[in-house]
Amino acid sequence: MKVVYTWLKDFVDVTATPQELASRLALSGTNIGGVENGAHGAVIEAEVSSNRPDCLGHLGIAREVGAIYKLPVKPVLPKPAESTAKASDAVRVEIQTPDLCGRFTARVIRNVKIQPSPKWLKDRLEATGVASISNVVDVSNYVMLELGHPLHTFDYDKVRDHKIVVRKARPGEKIRTLDGIERQLDPNLCMISDGDSSRAVGIGGIMGGAETEISFSTKNVLIECAWFEPVAVRRAARFLKLHTEASTRFGRGADPEMAELASRRAAELILQLAGGELLSGVVDVYPGKRTPKKIRVTRAELLRVMGADVPDKEVESSLSALGFAPIRIDQNRGAEGSILATWECTQPSWRAEVEREIDLIEEIARIYGLDKFPPRLPAARQGAARLPHYEAETRLRERLIGLGYREILTIPHVAEERDALFRPEGVAPARLSNPLSEEASVLRSNGLVTMAAALEWNLNHGQRNARLFEIGRHYRLNGSDSVETPVLTLGATGEGRQKNLYEPSREFSFADLKGDLDSIGALAGSFEWHEGGPAWLHPARRGRLQLRSNEIGAAGQLARQVAEKFKFRQDVFLAEFDLDRFCSAVRAAKEARRYEPLPRFPGVERDFSLLLPDGTHFSSVVNAIQALNISEISGIEAADLFRGKNVPAGKYSLLVRITFQSREATLTDAQIGDYSARIVASLENNLGAQLRAQ
Amino acid sequence: MPFGVIYIAIMPNIENPTEKTLAALTINDPLAIEELFANEKARFDKQLAAKNPDEVNYALMKNAWLGRKAGVLTLISENWLKSAPPTLKPIVGQSLNQLKRHIEESLELFWVAAEKTSEEAASTRDRVDLSLPGVIRPAGSHHLIRQVFQEIEDIFFSIGFSVVEGPEIETPYYNFEALNIPEFHPVRDDMDTFYLELPKSATTPLLLRTHTSPMQIRTMEKQKPPVRVIVPGKVYRRDNPDATHSFAFHQIEGLAVDADITFCDFTGTIEYFVKQFFGPSVKTRFRPSYFPFTEPSVEFDVSCPFCGGIGTAASGGTCSKCKGAAWIELFGAGMVDPAVYGFVNYDAKKVSGFAFGIGIDRLAMLKYGIDDIQVFFQNDVRFLKQFP
Ligand SMILES: [Zn+2]
Repeated sequence: MKVVYTWLKDFVDVTATPQELASRLALSGTNIGGVENGAHGAVIEAEVSSNRPDCLGHLGIAREVGAIYKLPVKPVLPKPAESTAKASDAVRVEIQTPDLCGRFTARVIRNVKIQPSPKWLKDRLEATGVASISNVVDVSNYVMLELGHPLHTFDYDKVRDHKIVVRKARPGEKIRTLDGIERQLDPNLCMISDGDSSRAVGIGGIMGGAETEISFSTKNVLIECAWFEPVAVRRAARFLKLHTEASTRFGRGADPEMAELASRRAAELILQLAGGELLSGVVDVYPGKRTPKKIRVTRAELLRVMGADVPDKEVESSLSALGFAPIRIDQNRGAEGSILATWECTQPSWRAEVEREIDLIEEIARIYGLDKFPPRLPAARQGAARLPHYEAETRLRERLIGLGYREILTIPHVAEERDALFRPEGVAPARLSNPLSEEASVLRSNGLVTMAAALEWNLNHGQRNARLFEIGRHYRLNGSDSVETPVLTLGATGEGRQKNLYEPSREFSFADLKGDLDSIGALAGSFEWHEGGPAWLHPARRGRLQLRSNEIGAAGQLARQVAEKFKFRQDVFLAEFDLDRFCSAVRAAKEARRYEPLPRFPGVERDFSLLLPDGTHFSSVVNAIQALNISEISGIEAADLFRGKNVPAGKYSLLVRITFQSREATLTDAQIGDYSARIVASLENNLGAQLRAQ
Repeated sequence: MPFGVIYIAIMPNIENPTEKTLAALTINDPLAIEELFANEKARFDKQLAAKNPDEVNYALMKNAWLGRKAGVLTLISENWLKSAPPTLKPIVGQSLNQLKRHIEESLELFWVAAEKTSEEAASTRDRVDLSLPGVIRPAGSHHLIRQVFQEIEDIFFSIGFSVVEGPEIETPYYNFEALNIPEFHPVRDDMDTFYLELPKSATTPLLLRTHTSPMQIRTMEKQKPPVRVIVPGKVYRRDNPDATHSFAFHQIEGLAVDADITFCDFTGTIEYFVKQFFGPSVKTRFRPSYFPFTEPSVEFDVSCPFCGGIGTAASGGTCSKCKGAAWIELFGAGMVDPAVYGFVNYDAKKVSGFAFGIGIDRLAMLKYGIDDIQVFFQNDVRFLKQFP
């Protein structure tokens, strides 16, 4: 709402500069978009919040100014000269839907001269950004901007039978509105019709019809000034996708009492600008007349909510200026500052949203000044708690960062076919019913799809080395319920080790991913790796992750057919696991962890160079050795792996390093020799291993 | 050392006296003994002075004079001391000790000098070039949004706010109705909402929460006052993406409800937070505003931290961050509307509280001078690296 400074002065004798005024308005609750000095003086852009329809006119803003500066606001008292002929003889009004239309007033002016508006009127309209059309149409806009109440003018002679019927729209009904568009109507809409009510001449509270529009040949004018039910108007505007100055004001709640006054003000201006003869009186059908609400506000409640007092005088002056007519009604009413003070207020017709004590407290506080309530820190009454998995998640995050992974955050909206690449079978995706685009039509059912997209972005922007992680959620539907599951997703591509002055670079490999995951897994006990995994992983380079035999995720190299979809030209590695289960395991592992005394006797390492048939897993070697139950074995490591030269086809060479250590004594050569012989025998017998050298 | 000079000058070719006994040298009075020792001292000093201080010369000199088998001092001890007559023995012994101390101290100084020389030599050859890079083990980083979340969580945690999280997929009841936003409320027009496609059997629509405020309701449903929580999380609005809009962004909701929480407690808490976040010199102001779920409602502004709250940039032009307004609107907040308590069975006459919702992305953009919200979600490593 553009507020013209000089127009405001018609109502209140403010002396503050427009800038000062704007900042005072801002601090008392009228948001200010800016102040401009245009051709017609200063214009303040007031961004009126949706609960204050009364401020969508200069009079409403003037009331605010009056309250802030404690200045009187001049009353609006239009007294147009009336002829002897009665309006009630010239027009009839019938409201069939009092639930949608609470009041309808009609005035008639005969023999007007439609012509361009005078300069002062054009200037004011121009300052508020409204185009001037003709004197009569301009008057209705002017009065709306002045008093905040929308009006509509009909060409009286085009209204059939000079009768207005307010009714609901009929099935299949259409209307061509003032903007020239033919609109399909909905039976819930409030329509203004004429004559036998078969023809719609306007959509109540939104826009008039084209057929009864004022033109330069109009002789007689019918002024409609009505009140429509706000929720119905909002619903209608949304249905029609037609948001007008009128629908905004009626939709937020216009002042029903203002209808007659605004009509009278319009009549006064039309007589002044277009001449003619105003028929006496007004046709006023007012089924929705309300008795003003009484609302009480007490000092006790004010103190309870605001935490600091407001003097009686300030309470009373602010409420009076805003039209609430406060009266002290408590037994202590002579005593100023009494803790028992109670004021009874009367809700002004333009402030329908003020209904409760808290609403009045807000009014008092904002006019008094929010800065007058001294800030203080409340005492804490209880300990504060972090999220249940805060510690586990923090340790996980720190470890990942130590391992070189950068955290990312993604938007879960993805393309359906991309999500499907990673979506487990049988999982129902959470699809949006009103997506912005196909590329963002499904909420990701897994974290991999957005991780792959982040790697894709980097590869497409010349960043070929990336190690990323995301702590996020995936979203799935279970019937008609949504399921959100926290997951950790890892993604890596490019170099596993950067080239530097001292070492060459090396590409990231499955072993890097496994090592990184095992570093993380150590926080939660440790991961158990199992064969197999989802189809989006490369069949030869993937694994399933378990924690204490519970499946929690998978890791490996991205399968070729998926990589092709992303046009990846280098190997990409991905992993994902269930975060809640992991964090629970981290907590459990932490609770179970106990100190193990350091060994007092030296350990002895022995290397066994084995030739093993291809396909023999290191874990089989470990199992075979562990089956010997030699308690002095404290470590079994794969120290070297070798294929090719000097190794027969179908075999590979594995160097196994075993550490022997006793808690009781230093081991003798004889003991170690004995253990070694048993180990070699077991590996030979169980795995067909050959010892190359020891 | 006048004696030495004379001695060398007058007896240049004399045989080494240390190879002979005192008797053979026909020396039998203390003065002559002192002169003998003075000559040896002078000889040592002259030899040492003639040599460059380095490790080789140090070893040579040490061996020549202190060597256990054939060092000069060993010879003196063998030839002069052992066979000295009892009357001269004390003076020979004493002089020998003095000479030994002198040699040791001189060699020590020679060693220090040698070390210094060798360091200087090595410096050009072996010393590390500090301008060369080390071997970097690349570390990762927290996402900037996560860093801002953490900072805010820590500030509120320190004044007794617990952290809770909630679902991003919500029902209209929690996202709107229970927050006093009935259907067709004008505020809904500002919160364009994503809805989920559900089977026909679904009894309630599901939507992506448009703010973290539903957790106000969920928290109060679960617990009785006192309540003091913050809720970090993602929120969604169906806005077309541009430099300042993303259809997903981040918020932190705050809620405090107790028997005696007032507007003063509210403003005090917010002020505390902002001074922790932007620094103690930042000024704050509260402007009355409107939200359906708070009353009184406010918009919270801080004096522009970038121009110091004067609206003019250091360069003299208009401050680009506050566009000359000197204030920056940070977020909306207010006292919890009593109507909201009605939805969670709190007694609005007995409890009061406040709530706020901070937009994290905007805050991070402001604080770090980011002009495009999309960079948060592109995850370009060049962006991620900037905030280690
Ligand atoms: Zn600034």
